[in-house]
Order: sequence, then C-alpha cells, then structure tokens
Amino acid sequence: MVIPWIGFPLASLLKRVEPTGQAKFVEFTTLLDPNQFPAQKPGFFGFSSLDWPYVEGLRLDEALHPLTLLTVGMYGKVLPNQNGAPIRIVVPWKYGFKSAKSIVRIRLVGEQPKTAWEKAAPSEYGFYSNVNPAVSHPRWSQADERRIGEFRRRPTLPFNGYADQVASLYTGMDLKKYY
Amino acid sequence: MTRRGRVALKVIVWGACLAPLALLAYRAWNDDLGANPISFITNTLGDWTLRILLASLAMTPLRIVFGLSWPITLRRLLGLFAFFYVCLHFSVWIVLDFFFDWPRMWADIVKRPYITIGMAALLSLIPLAATSTTGMIRRLGARNWTRLHRLAYVAAMCGVLHYTWLAKVGVKDPYWYATALAILLGVRVWEWGRRAMRRRHATATVSSRAENPLS
Repeated sequence: MVIPWIGFPLASLLKRVEPTGQAKFVEFTTLLDPNQFPAQKPGFFGFSSLDWPYVEGLRLDEALHPLTLLTVGMYGKVLPNQNGAPIRIVVPWKYGFKSAKSIVRIRLVGEQPKTAWEKAAPSEYGFYSNVNPAVSHPRWSQADERRIGEFRRRPTLPFNGYADQVASLYTGMDLKKYY
Repeated sequence: MTRRGRVALKVIVWGACLAPLALLAYRAWNDDLGANPISFITNTLGDWTLRILLASLAMTPLRIVFGLSWPITLRRLLGLFAFFYVCLHFSVWIVLDFFFDWPRMWADIVKRPYITIGMAALLSLIPLAATSTTGMIRRLGARNWTRLHRLAYVAAMCGVLHYTWLAKVGVKDPYWYATALAILLGVRVWEWGRRAMRRRHATATVSSRAENPLS
C-alpha cells in the first residue's frame, strides 16, 4: 500500500525527552477501551482474539530513524478513527501491524517489548517484521502484493522499497532468523 | 407434499442461493466492495460455498432428527449451488487474483497447506456434480452412487479446514463452521450407531432362538 501519511518524525519527540543509555527499545500501547473497540471485549467462553491492550515496539535506532512517523492524518485529512486516530505510529518499511494505532503511551525500555502478535502467534510474527519478500509467512507467500487501486500483483520489494534508507540498521543480522 | 408446494420450495431455494451473488453484483456496480475488492469477492464466494454446502448436508439430519422427508428433495439443488459458488471462488482466484500466473498458483497449491486442502475440497465436489443427474444415479446403481456421494463429507471437512488454516489468529468464524459440520456429521454417526445396535440386537435375538429350539 502507498499511503500519503501526514505526521512528524518520532525522533523529534524522543530527542526532547533525552533517552538515557539504558533505553534500548521503545514500546507503544494502544488505548484499551472495549466500548470504543468492540473487538477488545472477551468473546464466547472468554476467548479473546489478542492479549489486549495492543502493544508494539521498535528498537531505539529504528524509532529514531527519520522515516518512523508519529502520524495524525492521511490523504490530506485528519486521521479517521479506523486508521488509528488521534495519533499513531507509521513504520513504512515494516508490515502494517508494527505501526500501532491510537496510542496512549510511549515508553523507553531496556528490554525488547513483548508485542501483541508475538504473544498470539510467535511462529508467524516476529519482533522485527521488516517487509521481506524472501521470507514467507509460514502459511502464505509474501513475495508479491496488490496495491490499492491496481489490478495486477507486483513483486514486493525488500524493506518495502526503503532498503537504501534503512537496510544499514540491520547489517550483520540474519533477517531470516530475526523475521 | 403437493406439486405446488415442491415448486414453491425450489423457487425459494433458487432465490436464496442466488441472492448473495446478486448482492455482490449490486455492490460491485456501486463500487462498494471495500479497499480490497478482489479479496472481498473471493471471501464472500468462499463463505457462501461453505454455507450452502453445509445446508446441503443438513437435509439428511433434518429427516433423522425431525422425521421430515421434504428437505431431501432440496439436497441436489443445494449441492449444485455449492459447486457453482466454489467454481466462482476458484475462477476469481485464477483470473482476478493471479491473472493466469500458473507457475505461481501451482507453487501455492503445492506449498501452502490451506490452498492444497482447498483444492482437495474442490476436486472432491467435481465427481458429485458430474453424477448428480437421475440418469447417472441409474447408471451407477443407487448403492454405488450413495457410496460415491459420501465424498460430500470429505469436501465439507476439507472446506472447513481450508478456512481454519487461512484465518488469522483470533478470527472465530471458521470454528462456527466447524461446529456446524461436527453437529451435522455427529447426527449421522449417532444414526449409524443406533442402526448397527438394532441390527446386532436383531441377530442376537435370532441366534438365541436357534440355540434354544424349545422356546
């Protein structure tokens, strides 16, 4: 998907609070409010789809990258509720679930946060989740995609096309292992 | 049931089975298929395949549990509509989703279990559709035909697994279908068990008489 987001680099906020050397990761928490977000209500027999509230995280250097945005709008308009109003994260080189919506808390932490999808299905969703056509989801291919408004599929690019900007964050890392 | 009643029933089933397709066409006409129209169409057609297939498998349990015989007359029609929807579902996958990219589709069939099992469901419905005519029942003989048409159970199980394996964690719909299928098959198992017991009981009575000719 190619979305014209409106926001500002998360780095500008993080730099204001002057992270200490102990801060290694950033953790984002989405609002917990089952009245506004009905999917957060426990279902039949107490089954819950995810362990709410939704928690996501980034390594500090990822969070400080100028492409990581705190986002308040899209397509020239204020962010609609379903897209994560009033404020959300956008990490354009990662799969969508890494970009936490409707966040109410940002914490600088020393340990890698345990994210919502990692807890729900650790074999399917890793902490990094960089867009990587060479690594399939265990159940389906991630080699191609269809952009909104286009008919034919197109090959998915490493880091969603931002390899020149972000690949250096991961030099020396086995991205098959850290998916 | 009167002839008019039978005709009315069939008209209702035709209407009910074509309504989802009409609604889909209406939404397409109004550009109301969401952000990802192709996946919306595929999912809708898949949903209705499963629903109609389960409906066709519900006709026999209605007879077993409630003693109704008229639902059986709708079984073939429902089965053929399920086949119709699965063909549309499959065609959308080939044409709209992958646009005849055969190597890519073949790779998915071989590698992705949910697609493999979906193909198995589709393939097991083909002989059923092909032998659905009265002429074919006569040609195969009722006994063989009944045996062949137990493939409907395989198709339904594969279809439900297909949905279970492709759904994201936390999506509960596949479990509703699985529960419905378990009930529909459970009724049959219960009925087979009951009949087997009765047969055994009957043979036991006969053999005890044979052992004791004076009684």
